[in-house]
Amino acid sequence: MRRDWGFVVAMLVAVATCVLPALDGLLTAAEAQASPQTPPQVSPPTPQQPPAARKRNPPPPSSEPRRGRQVPVPPAAQAPAKGDEVRALELPPETVQADVSTRNVAVTSSFTGTEIVVFGAVDNSRQPGADAVLYDIVVVIEGTPNRIAVRKKSQLGGIWMNTRNASFDGVPSYYAIWSTRPLDEIASEATMIGYEIGFDHVRMTPVGGTEAQGSSSRLPAADAGEFRTAMVRLKNKQGLYVKNDFGVSFIGRSLFRANIALPANVTVGPFETRVYLFRNEKLLSQYDVRLTLEREGVERYVHNFAINWPLLYGLATVLLAVGMGLAAAVANGRSVR
Amino acid sequence: MNLYLPIAEMSVSVLLMLGMGASVGFLSGMFGIGGGFLLTPLLIFSGIPPAVAVGTAPAQVVASSVAGALAQWRRGNVDLKLGGVLLSGGVLGAIVGVHLVSLLRRWGQFEVSVSLMFVTLLGVVGTLMLVESVRTLRKTQAGGSGSLRRSGQHNWSHGLPFKMRFNRSKLYISVLPPFMLGAFVGLLAAIMGVGGGFLIVPAMIYLLHVPTNVVVGTSQFQIIFVTATTTVLNAASNQSVDVVLAALLMLGGVIGAEIGAQAGGKLRAEQLRFLLALMVLAVCARVGWDLVNKPDDLFSIETVVS
Repeated sequence: MRRDWGFVVAMLVAVATCVLPALDGLLTAAEAQASPQTPPQVSPPTPQQPPAARKRNPPPPSSEPRRGRQVPVPPAAQAPAKGDEVRALELPPETVQADVSTRNVAVTSSFTGTEIVVFGAVDNSRQPGADAVLYDIVVVIEGTPNRIAVRKKSQLGGIWMNTRNASFDGVPSYYAIWSTRPLDEIASEATMIGYEIGFDHVRMTPVGGTEAQGSSSRLPAADAGEFRTAMVRLKNKQGLYVKNDFGVSFIGRSLFRANIALPANVTVGPFETRVYLFRNEKLLSQYDVRLTLEREGVERYVHNFAINWPLLYGLATVLLAVGMGLAAAVANGRSVR
Repeated sequence: MNLYLPIAEMSVSVLLMLGMGASVGFLSGMFGIGGGFLLTPLLIFSGIPPAVAVGTAPAQVVASSVAGALAQWRRGNVDLKLGGVLLSGGVLGAIVGVHLVSLLRRWGQFEVSVSLMFVTLLGVVGTLMLVESVRTLRKTQAGGSGSLRRSGQHNWSHGLPFKMRFNRSKLYISVLPPFMLGAFVGLLAAIMGVGGGFLIVPAMIYLLHVPTNVVVGTSQFQIIFVTATTTVLNAASNQSVDVVLAALLMLGGVIGAEIGAQAGGKLRAEQLRFLLALMVLAVCARVGWDLVNKPDDLFSIETVVS
């Protein structure tokens, strides 16, 4: 009887652990065949390839729908410092271009997080070498915005319960800041607020005492700050709000790179990647790239099933449970008799 | 070995989840309880979002209850008629319960309500069961009969209408008490993400005076339907059922349940009740401690799905 059990366990474990990833591969391959215009995974361009060369080739019309773009910087921020005026007339202005190693990250059953390499170059760099600290790069990655409820417990009749709460709209599900130096050395607080760089300046709008808030009353501004700080702290604890003051490094005069890890608990969806180029506390140029986490294979089918046909999905889950229970009972009954 | 969960949106260890399912399944097979009241806190503790834990745990309970009920059925320990009355009340209660959950969640008082319910119910049930089982154990040690059933016993419930004969349970009682009991348990089941076995087993023994050997099989039989209902409702209205997580838990659960049923067969009924009482009180103490102890972090965050 014990041998029978061993067999059943081995079979079932094999199904759960081996077939799922294998199915993933099959389904992904099938999908790629079905729609060749949108390959599930864009192969990472080699970092050695100069970005300028990529620019000269006209982009294929449909294979790169989420190409990065140069963001126009307001003229006030671009105005060169006084001493630079003469040189600025002679030399073309510096701009930044960047890309991510993988624009479409496949989330399959074996997904345990991923590492993204953000790389780019400063055009018309006046930096003599990698060690000369002339430019500063700040890379910000923002996940899809969500509404987040922050609740605070206090003691009521000896019991700790949620007594106050605040909700924020448009809170990025993930927020990473990678930079060449600590942010306060790169530019002034006011500049960082203007570009929404830094945990304290993440865009989020407090939601007033709406119906969704239930019994809670409106919060004074000072309290909203308290809740906001708590949220950033908790997100940081979950590994979703991350920061690396020396995460971006220059490789030579103009090339730079940053390795950013996305943990397994990130929300699947599009991610805005913004690359900022600073010199002398002034923003010179900004470049935006979009990176997307997409469910692939089994994960995708299961998720779509659960969202699009929730009732059917629930019934299927119950059916699976009943089937498994019956299989176990039958297997055991046979081995007993 | 890790697996990414499509609904929970996180990566979990396969072995941990299998083990969790197996240990809960073992207890469920042994005591005839669904084990949801152990599984839900365990899942939350291991980092699964509470909504997904409450939504998915019942699916595992379905599997282990099917396996358990079938094993009991072979021994002739399921009263289909009584189970039918219980589950018709239970399904009704579960539907009301799922709606209550979304209301409580909107108010942000979901967790504390669940904890308070757990403490109250587990405390009362555990204490009653402990006192009774210790008394019976003493009596059997002194040489008397351990049987709980005293013939000719009458109470208020015998005056109620709609009497029905439950042959296997050797009962002739009104259908109202079991129906109300089923509805009450179904309501709690939906709110707490549990099957309600820890409530229905003692209630059947002490309130309805159902023979202990029939109690386990019958409660497992009705738990199948109540948990199946909450699973479907949770999937439909909250999209909080993770089928991959459920499959892992079931796999461990059905195996554990069979081993548990065999282990349970070696113990006497009052010994089983004594052990179950201790377990119920332990969970009660744990949940109660979290309510009165100052939490590490006063703040908590939750992504609101609009």
